[in-house]
Amino acid sequence: VAFQFPWSKKTSHRDDPYWDFFINTTPADLGNTVTEMLRKAPEGNVFPAKTELHTPEITTRHVKGMAEYFGAAMTGIAKLAADDPTNPEGFPFAVVCAIEAEYDPRKSPGIGGQVPVQNGLFITFVLSAWIRELGFRATVAPQPADEKLAAQAGLGTLSSEGRLVTPQFGVKVYVANPIRTDLPLAPDG
Amino acid sequence: MSKAETLQESEIDNRSADSPTPYLGRSVRIVGPHVNVDMNQSPHPKNARGELGKPLFNWYRNTVSRDPLTRVSAPNHFADRRQFLTNIINRSTNGKVNPRRVAVDDPAAMTRHIKAVALYMGADVVGVAKAHPAFLYASGGGRYVQDGTAKDEYQNYSPEELAHKFPYIIQAATAWDYNKLQAHRHHIGDAAYHVSQMKGVLVLKALEGYIKELGYTALRGVVTPQAAGVAGGIGELGRNGLVINKNFGARVHMPDPIMTDLPLVADEPVDIGVEDFCKICRKCANTCPTNSIPFGDKVVHNGIEKYKINWLTCYKLRPYVHDHWGSCLTCAVVCPFTKPNVWWHTMTVSLLHACPYFARPSLVRFLKWIDDRYWGVVRNNRVRWLGYDSGVKPGEQACTVAGCNASHEGKGQAVVGQAGYYAPLKENTNRFVKRDV
Repeated sequence: VAFQFPWSKKTSHRDDPYWDFFINTTPADLGNTVTEMLRKAPEGNVFPAKTELHTPEITTRHVKGMAEYFGAAMTGIAKLAADDPTNPEGFPFAVVCAIEAEYDPRKSPGIGGQVPVQNGLFITFVLSAWIRELGFRATVAPQPADEKLAAQAGLGTLSSEGRLVTPQFGVKVYVANPIRTDLPLAPDG
Repeated sequence: MSKAETLQESEIDNRSADSPTPYLGRSVRIVGPHVNVDMNQSPHPKNARGELGKPLFNWYRNTVSRDPLTRVSAPNHFADRRQFLTNIINRSTNGKVNPRRVAVDDPAAMTRHIKAVALYMGADVVGVAKAHPAFLYASGGGRYVQDGTAKDEYQNYSPEELAHKFPYIIQAATAWDYNKLQAHRHHIGDAAYHVSQMKGVLVLKALEGYIKELGYTALRGVVTPQAAGVAGGIGELGRNGLVINKNFGARVHMPDPIMTDLPLVADEPVDIGVEDFCKICRKCANTCPTNSIPFGDKVVHNGIEKYKINWLTCYKLRPYVHDHWGSCLTCAVVCPFTKPNVWWHTMTVSLLHACPYFARPSLVRFLKWIDDRYWGVVRNNRVRWLGYDSGVKPGEQACTVAGCNASHEGKGQAVVGQAGYYAPLKENTNRFVKRDV
């Protein structure tokens, strides 16, 4: 068993012979992965009655608080341009959540390497469902500009390769698919 | 094979040399012949068939919650079932077992690995139990997964055959948020319970998939969760019928465990003094709004010596309080073991663990005195979270968010004091419920 300070929260997996399999081996059947189940999940209906809201600033605080409670390390709100061709439905805001990622999910296809993606899907699924239950439209669709939106939402800055760099985790961060919504919010940045 | 024959067989096998009566720690003992529980006779399936009366049936099947968060996080109170994550996960089709099996040379290393994997995915506690036929649901009843289905090719196996073929049970649990939990019998407490429950479902499904990717079988809906929790060393069974963990107390879920043939090393039941504490404390029995928790000694129920709660009176309250909350949680909140997971809590539980049996009653009396003195005999803290406020009386509406200048028509404003209001109050219910002497 590797040496570890008792107050250290990170566990070392260096002496674990199966850890590499967990992080790096592509699943033989994608049906075994929760990420696939959540990606395939259809979106539900918008609740017919709108919930009475507080001011946009307070609603933003509540959305961020909810995302944090579901496990997001950082949450930001980006303002979307109404005439943007990638935003045909004209959503005014995007909620961007970021999760700490010890291993880069783009390079680690194993179930373990995809854990940040799994957590991100958990957050965006429940958060967008909650916004729809509040009576507002919300949709999670993968977009090529996730990291750009995250930078725009004030989570960090973009590196020269276009990766998000955050003050808290550096590049070890995964940006979940943004939730585009018409919930009245106060954008960051 | 008829069901009656299967049950008799399991009785005989419990005493046979192949599966000796398992040791479950000091809090539960198997003392007589045990008839495996038929999952169709457990509360939710009974209710789903309408056997518990109209109010409960309608509460379970036809009630949409007024609270948006409850609609996305609580079983069966959604407006649209696609918004409830547990439905999506538990109703998904399962993947296949990987034909290229990963060889396990050292079961101890694999046990450490599986535990590390579960914690990495977000579980708070993991335990491995040695399978025993008595822990399993009776054969012929099918599998039981709430809000979902589980099917496998071993449905016709008897509990003995299953326990023989799949010798290990993995139980991974998530803990409820301590601060939100303080608002028990309130939507804030529900958030603590239901969100971590969804997370637990996600973690266990991911773990199940990972075991299949390792090339081993993982069965769901087979094992009684409480039995797996106690046998796997997650905790001891308390007077309130909950598994009490050394770090989190009663605030852990006991979700549907995984039964597997992955070679592992089983944990032993733990002794953290729950047995000694429950004999004396009775805080849960005193505060239970429906008096469903016994004040008396343990009883032998179905061959198992334990405290037996009255699940029916506990269950029956729910339709009447649905506007205010979904899950009561009072017995878990008042339990003196339920504390933040910090050093002084760890220290106290270790002290109880190290204390010799004869001295434990006095230590327990002292600890209970501290708990009553500083945490309160009844918990009614005011909790505020994201616009929810347990200081607002049930049935009233008020915006208590600081700095909110939105126009809330017809809503009260002033809420004073630090008392939380939790419906129903004990004095409103205990006169209607006869105590079970």
